[in-house]
Amino acid sequence: MNNPYEVLGVSETATDEEIKAAYRKLAKKYHPDNYTDSPLADIAEQKMKEINEAYDAINEMRQKGKGTDSKRTSGSSSYQSASSSQFYSVRIYIQRNMIDQAEQVLESTPMGNRTAEWYYLKGMCAYRRGWNEQAFNNFTTACNMDPQNGEYRAALNNMQNQRSYNYGGYNQPNMQNGTMGCSCCDVCAAMMCADCMCDCCSAGC
Amino acid sequence: MFGYLQIQKSELLVREYEAYKSVYCGLCKQMGRDYSFLARFSLSYDCTFYAMLLMSLSKSCSGFKDGRCTFNPLKKCKFALCEDDCFSKASAFSVLSVYYKLKDDIKDERFFKRLFIRMLFPFFSHWRNKALKKYSEIDNYLSQMTDLQSTAESDPECSVDESAHPTALMLSNLFALESSSDEDKRILREFGYQLGRWIYLIDAADDYDKDIKNGNFNPYKSWEKDSKEQQMKMVSSLNQSLARAYDAYNLTDFKDFRGIFDNMLTLGLPSVQNKITAKFNGGNNE
Repeated sequence: MNNPYEVLGVSETATDEEIKAAYRKLAKKYHPDNYTDSPLADIAEQKMKEINEAYDAINEMRQKGKGTDSKRTSGSSSYQSASSSQFYSVRIYIQRNMIDQAEQVLESTPMGNRTAEWYYLKGMCAYRRGWNEQAFNNFTTACNMDPQNGEYRAALNNMQNQRSYNYGGYNQPNMQNGTMGCSCCDVCAAMMCADCMCDCCSAGC
Repeated sequence: MFGYLQIQKSELLVREYEAYKSVYCGLCKQMGRDYSFLARFSLSYDCTFYAMLLMSLSKSCSGFKDGRCTFNPLKKCKFALCEDDCFSKASAFSVLSVYYKLKDDIKDERFFKRLFIRMLFPFFSHWRNKALKKYSEIDNYLSQMTDLQSTAESDPECSVDESAHPTALMLSNLFALESSSDEDKRILREFGYQLGRWIYLIDAADDYDKDIKNGNFNPYKSWEKDSKEQQMKMVSSLNQSLARAYDAYNLTDFKDFRGIFDNMLTLGLPSVQNKITAKFNGGNNE
């Protein structure tokens, strides 16, 4: 294994707190929720494993013995509900990233057999290809046809998260336009200005 | 489709901003060296991004050198140094992409602008031949993109996904060239695909008014400009491409210029996007 400090991107002299912070930051980045249904899910999982191991290794090296310290959220909760599915082969193809084959099977399905699952899988193929709009429409159709199904719902929710970019750190479309009114920051800035002026006065006295 | 990959200058560290500028200047210099003084005018932010990506992936940035700007000899600037052919490659991409852009514009533009393009065209076609010798694969991807694009646009039923596909594919291929392993290749493919898609869609949004006026193809053509619902849809779709590009980017392990890339993906591009999509908000600015 690589040097665990390098994996977490911290120096060997870093404090425990710094290491924890670096670990948390990376764990948030590689978190399986960010890569649900993504063609890169397996790579993200691998990275997550690496940082988990590195974090554990460092904790062990430093002989903390505090078991609670290395507590972390582990693993993804991917749905594996469909072993009895009528589109079993399609699911296998998608799992192996063989999207052309998966679509071929789907396309050869007669109109009458196009169930909610069919739309879900069709959406999954589009998603893997990067065709986000088509994927979104298909997931929506699947959810409308079978609103009780958790798997379809999860896929649609994931899409909706990405579409509002909840975890990228900028969800306020108007923030950068400078059109906002008086925000918390403005108040702070004003206070600081006022403070400076007070200082000036007192220095002048 | 140029100039959308911007930084948010106010949020960069000074040293990051200097590094960014020195890549820009280094690239400009290389274009003068490889092609001609005139070719320097085709330099764009997108090519700077590409050059940074190349240098970051090959870890070939070896330092910075002081010098003077050719356009303004009074101005001192720094040039980034690069050990391999990153700058040449990015210059080739710049020249080639402008060549294909002009070729496409000859079809679309009005009389006077077309005349102007026709005058420029021989230069670019000369430079293209030069670039072709060393970087024929880049030319391949770009010409494939142009072909696919015109096929897609001639289809009246063309969906947003389909119309964005050629650009996305081009960038995905271009980025994948730089991968050293299968895993890298997959990451860079996804990164390139979603970023290319974003570029195409933002360009389409930006050109919406012009395209409608001139009767050119635009994926949002059938949309009503002032519809709140459709603006939401457009923003969602741009957000999603950016989100997926960002997720893929997070899996890459490039270290050089990381701060600048982070800045672009989380601040620079979203602010470009906000500026452009704001006009679809109609009168109801809520």
